[in-house]
Amino acid sequence: MARVKRAVNAHKKRREVLERASGYRGQRSRLYRKAKEQVTHSLVYAYADRRTRKGDFRRLWIQRINAGCRANGMTYNRFIQGLKAAGVEVDRRMLAELAVNDAPAFAALVEVSRSSLPATAA
Amino acid sequence: MRTYSPKPGDNTPVWHVIDASDVVLGRLATHAATLLRGKHKPTFAPHMDMGDFVIIINAEKVALTGAKKQQKMDFRHSGHPGGLTATSYSELLESNPRRAVEKAVKGMLPHNKLGRQQLKKLKVYAGSAHPHAAQQPQPFQITQVAQ
Repeated sequence: MARVKRAVNAHKKRREVLERASGYRGQRSRLYRKAKEQVTHSLVYAYADRRTRKGDFRRLWIQRINAGCRANGMTYNRFIQGLKAAGVEVDRRMLAELAVNDAPAFAALVEVSRSSLPATAA
Repeated sequence: MRTYSPKPGDNTPVWHVIDASDVVLGRLATHAATLLRGKHKPTFAPHMDMGDFVIIINAEKVALTGAKKQQKMDFRHSGHPGGLTATSYSELLESNPRRAVEKAVKGMLPHNKLGRQQLKKLKVYAGSAHPHAAQQPQPFQITQVAQ
């Protein structure tokens, strides 16, 4: 059987880990063992945070919509209740976009929401 | 369409004046903190200072509910053993009313570099005079007042 020399693959394995770890702090970018541990963790964090990001942005949109609503004399809570009652299906991402870049359109939506609120919830 | 993210220079801060006379301290501080952070604007971003400047006048006339004037204490520690100084708010509002208001607002801002930067936009004065007339501050009304 042919003899297998291991140096090429061993170097490749270490090089790939160290390349991924470039820019890390201290030993974590220089020593293979430390870099390997950090790279494993980093990939886990990156995977989880790609999912966390969806919620982070939804939170930010809600904060912006709330600011826009309050400028029009309404709270976020009632605004969404009114939109649902009116059957408006604009999502929060676009509502936030309107609040930032198209204040008159947003104010019009606030009026739509206000007019479809039940009388008890003003 | 990407979610709007403010760039440096996108914020044109406005100046607000709040009269603290007979306003409850915590309620005053929530309004001030909202304005300082910029949470009243649709362009709010958690990683950048999008807030306005806030001037608070008549800091010594701020209201405290219940028995807090006697019971609520302001603590400072010098770092030496036995170096704790406790001042009741009745004394603090006499001697250093600005500290009372600044402390309340500081506790409501993020406890990081951004929060410290935003706190610098807060200007508190005892008495009704302030030296920021050149910034043309707008009066900000707080509807809820002490009973």
